[in-house]
Amino acid sequence: METYWTYSRIKAIAVAVVALVGAIVLAYAGSEKILTYLIPAYIWAIVAMGWTAIFRTGQFSLGQGAFMMIGAYSSAILTTSVAETTQITSAIFQLPVLVGMLIAAVISGVLAFIIGAITLRLGGIFFCIVTLAFNEVIRIVAVGLPHWFGGVNGILAPFPGPFGIDFQHSKRPFYLLTLMILVLAAIVFWRLDKSRIGSRFRAVAANKNLAEHTGLHLAKYRIIAFTVAGTFAGLAGALFGHYLHVVTPTLFGMAEAIMVLIMCTAGGTRSPVVGATVGALVLSPLGDYLTSKLQGGKLMVFGIIVLLVAFFLVNGISSAPDSIKDLIVGRMKKVRA
Amino acid sequence: MSAPILELKNISKHFGNLRALDGVDLTIEEGQLTGLSGPNGSGKTTLFNVVSGFYTPTAGQVIFQGKDITKLRPDQRAAMGLVRTFQSNVLFNDASVLDNVVWASSLRSRTGSLAAFIGTRKHREEERAIVAKAREILEYWGFSGQEKILASELPHGDQRRLGLAVASATDPKLLLIDEPVGGIGGEERENVVRHIKQLQERGITMILVEHHVKTILAIAERFVVLDFGRKIADGAPLEVAAQPNVIEAYLGTRG
Repeated sequence: METYWTYSRIKAIAVAVVALVGAIVLAYAGSEKILTYLIPAYIWAIVAMGWTAIFRTGQFSLGQGAFMMIGAYSSAILTTSVAETTQITSAIFQLPVLVGMLIAAVISGVLAFIIGAITLRLGGIFFCIVTLAFNEVIRIVAVGLPHWFGGVNGILAPFPGPFGIDFQHSKRPFYLLTLMILVLAAIVFWRLDKSRIGSRFRAVAANKNLAEHTGLHLAKYRIIAFTVAGTFAGLAGALFGHYLHVVTPTLFGMAEAIMVLIMCTAGGTRSPVVGATVGALVLSPLGDYLTSKLQGGKLMVFGIIVLLVAFFLVNGISSAPDSIKDLIVGRMKKVRA
Repeated sequence: MSAPILELKNISKHFGNLRALDGVDLTIEEGQLTGLSGPNGSGKTTLFNVVSGFYTPTAGQVIFQGKDITKLRPDQRAAMGLVRTFQSNVLFNDASVLDNVVWASSLRSRTGSLAAFIGTRKHREEERAIVAKAREILEYWGFSGQEKILASELPHGDQRRLGLAVASATDPKLLLIDEPVGGIGGEERENVVRHIKQLQERGITMILVEHHVKTILAIAERFVVLDFGRKIADGAPLEVAAQPNVIEAYLGTRG
């Protein structure tokens, strides 16, 4: 029988526990300023995990920005109570924010399933282009239906406020809520990867012809990854909308979809969770910082980072500890020989 | 006699004006090992692609165990027990030797995706059984002690053999083998041929696309030759190999 408590499993759990404890300590020890950097980073990490899952089925999505948008708008429309400021005639749902976010995630997941069912039979470049175009479709729909989406001014997304918790005057509750959803996403994507579904993802990506001819329905596994990723991108988008308090048509789009791609490739795609999280934790705060310091320089710096990673850390920033270890062990062997 | 395991009825596959296959009829009896050959471009690989479901034929029917499967996808055919191997890129290259066999043999698992995601006890037991069975298959195919090696790091001949092991792990009823000894020779070829014979003894029906006529003569019970998308010979291997039109197709006419 296989031993359950393998070294790698213990290591993974230890890293996860330390990271979680660190994140909770930060909530109380860190300043509000740090939290304004960390909340978006966590949200991007959720989206990036989804992108990684899609990538690990051998597909390349450029549409995660669109699903964030769907989530953000859905949740805002479902929960907003301010009709007059945004010329919206549809402040009719007025649901609690957490309920709105949940429904937004489901809507986003259903749309991801539909788009996936249409495009993922072919996969590859066709899928890539359709997802790219999907970003624009969502933006055009949002601008074109002002009574629902508030036009170019966008729509107000209320702060969450369950159990009388004050989300408005402190960032801490929002930080903890985001952390909870991040942990949920990490568990889901980790479980997905470790289960047989994950090995089928890898089989489909490793050799699609062989996978298909040994009985795997390629589209099915690609659609599973795309749907789960779309659901979490929607949830993340909704979270971001409520965090910013407003959702506008230019909030997420192609640029953000490419940001996610950069985070994942820079962080590394060898793990379903770690690379995406590391990539988001490094690049999201850096991006926010650069935007405030040098306008337009952000993408240039990101480009350089991607090149550096491609040259020196092929498996991403998250593989740096292993790479350094290999380097040292290699040197030691050389010295000994 | 039982019904044939595979029937091809008047199969044609056209690519524009090119008739890659032109009205091919072929009936394969259960347990038979058929060699399929022909000059380059004669339609062998196209025929494989039509039978395995990679191509839909322009006309004609593919019938497997009495069911019309002409419109089914490759994975649906594989689930019914119709499996093919590939000439090149035969493995899950970035995966270990063990994973290659595990991935192929989990096809027959009964627990669903949701049970797999949650990790129910029944699912975990089944996974353990699949790994145990995969190890048996690896031992049978001579890969014991190599399960952790990446498939892409194996020597070429071993990759071919592992390709056959992966295909056999799906529990096929009909196995289509594409050029099993192409590009390998000597001892390795003997080794692959011996394993194909063992599959034959286990009662698996096989069709073998092979250029190496000696291999076909050595193991096949029947020899089919294609030329320009048509079947030009079908019968006992030694007789077919001596047929004038077969020799002509391979070597051309004198003068």
